[in-house]
Amino acid sequence: MKKIVSLFTLLVSAFGVFAAQAADPVRIGYSIANTGLFAQAAPSQVTAYELWAKQVNDAGGLDVAGERRPVELVWYDDESDPAKSAQIYEKLISDDNVDLLLAPWGTPHHLNVAGVVERHGFPMIGNTAASVAVREVQPGNIWFPTSAIPDRIGVELAAMAAKAGVTSVAIIANVLPFSQENLQFLVPALESVGIEVALNESYPPDISDMTGLLTQIKAANVDGVIALSYPADSFLYMGQSQEIGIDAPFQFLLVGPTISAFSQAFGELADGVVTLGHWSPHQANWSRAKPFFDAYVEAYDMKPDYLDTALAYMSCEILQQAVAKAGLDHDKLRSAISSSTFDTINGDVKFDGVENSITPTAFLQLQGGDMHLVWPENIATAAYKAR
Amino acid sequence: MDLLLSPQLLFSALVLGSTYALVALGLNLVYGTMRLLNIAHGDLIMVGAYAAFWFFTLSGLSPIIGLPLIALICAGLGLILYFAIFRHQLENVHPVERIEANSLLLFFAVSVIVQNVVALSFSGSPRAYRHLDEVYHLLGVSMTANRIAALVVAVTLLSAVVLFLNRSHYGLSISALIQNKTAAKIVGINVSKIQILSFTIGFAIAGVAGALISMTEQISPFMGFPFTIVAFVVIILGGLGNIKGGIAAGLLLGFVEIYVVVLTSANFRSILIYGLFVGVLLLRPQGLFGKTRAS
Repeated sequence: MKKIVSLFTLLVSAFGVFAAQAADPVRIGYSIANTGLFAQAAPSQVTAYELWAKQVNDAGGLDVAGERRPVELVWYDDESDPAKSAQIYEKLISDDNVDLLLAPWGTPHHLNVAGVVERHGFPMIGNTAASVAVREVQPGNIWFPTSAIPDRIGVELAAMAAKAGVTSVAIIANVLPFSQENLQFLVPALESVGIEVALNESYPPDISDMTGLLTQIKAANVDGVIALSYPADSFLYMGQSQEIGIDAPFQFLLVGPTISAFSQAFGELADGVVTLGHWSPHQANWSRAKPFFDAYVEAYDMKPDYLDTALAYMSCEILQQAVAKAGLDHDKLRSAISSSTFDTINGDVKFDGVENSITPTAFLQLQGGDMHLVWPENIATAAYKAR
Repeated sequence: MDLLLSPQLLFSALVLGSTYALVALGLNLVYGTMRLLNIAHGDLIMVGAYAAFWFFTLSGLSPIIGLPLIALICAGLGLILYFAIFRHQLENVHPVERIEANSLLLFFAVSVIVQNVVALSFSGSPRAYRHLDEVYHLLGVSMTANRIAALVVAVTLLSAVVLFLNRSHYGLSISALIQNKTAAKIVGINVSKIQILSFTIGFAIAGVAGALISMTEQISPFMGFPFTIVAFVVIILGGLGNIKGGIAAGLLLGFVEIYVVVLTSANFRSILIYGLFVGVLLLRPQGLFGKTRAS
């Protein structure tokens, strides 16, 4: 009897999966910087999309207001060009008639695409955009789950540095927009908590050697170094600061340490480096976090980017839960996204206007090769440790 | 002033300058002997970097020990491209300006194909590995072992190539071809054979440069373009096809970059480097060490 019940269950499950596969696929479109300036960064986003789509299909399809349908991803290369990205979203909506949209990579692309989704009234969850400019976007059809907005980063980083006992810092900043926007808010925030800015230098994105800058930092004899860096210069800083012997107890790198290659390159030498990020698989209160981390490592044989991959996956989760509730109708979907609370790998997310009103601005620290949340305390997975 | 006299800066300038010289050397050989504008040069550096990464990751083979193997892989790639694409161009296309223009487009296609093949094979995610990162202190200079190794290999290879070009039969044939292809033919040099040799040596050196760079930087399928730009700046500054001039220009660029940051601000780095480049070309269109060709 037990065998018959098992066989029956198997048949029912198989039929369920078959039915889901037989249904029309839900076509989800996006553009991706497959070539060009941002091509190195885009994989951290695409891998999240592809993993999510595979998980959904393996589980029998996307729940569209009660009906299971397979997911099909439709994408085009935007060549890292924000204008081309906007054209692609026009095509995805008008020619390809996709059912849903996922976001492109990077702030300029998001801002360009925002006009397109607004014009078509087509809801889209953003992910890798982080600028105060996102608040100027017309709310209603685009939402940003990130909490890494430069004005808040400045205030929180200054508060964290002050709590860590930092009294003076040297700042070096890439001249690219995200770094400079952070610099603009960081300096007054540091001064307001009584931290002296002993050195403040910017550098071009194609810098090949930091010896001169790091020698000046060493001479400044500060107890904090804040590098508002992008991934390539984070690598340069980390390698050359070992050589020069920068031993400030507080060292912050803006973007770069969250990618898997950074830990591979520096191992325990990077221990204690603080960086931008609001997700960690070690946060036990976020029940989805660790399963996502494990699934990602199994799928790609590397750790996810704790910032971009986490954000991209969160945007998929939000879309998935909204579609389960509202289906594919744009008005219902818009209403569901605007009013619901979503359970994501980064805990609960709820939107107020275009912004995520729950996730706090946070910082990660490399400890023993792992990324731990160390700020703010209410979501910390480990205590901050000076380098 | 103390900072300017710092041996630490001198070490960094030597590492950077010799890396630039090595990065540009292969491009200069290929252009000098065949007038082929290889804008996929940076992608060959990327191939060398990936070869070093995978050898190290899969078998623990040190990039320094694996250099001959990596050079062989890139030379093999060069041989395939030479016979598949460029031999036909060199034998059938005239005048030389047409070869330059065609090669620019062909190498652009090669660049896109190589980038995408590597991205599809290994994903576009940046990669890195940890090797020789212990720090040594000598005469007031702190040096990571991988940068010392990069400097030693680059200087050895640059010296070996100069000696090869000046002393060996094949090297002298390459030099002759660089100076005057027609005259080289008249004196009995097998131009086709020497071109194949230059092409493969140029590719092999690019691979070696990539392997050295991979020890200190993150690598990705799209890392090549900045190296292509640097290589072109160096060989134009040194005089197109002038091997020793290119080496000197690479070193000069490294020194300018390091000391400019200290003397002014890191912000002015790119402005001053490219300003110097434009200024030199205005005053000496043939480059710092190039000779004006007789009409």
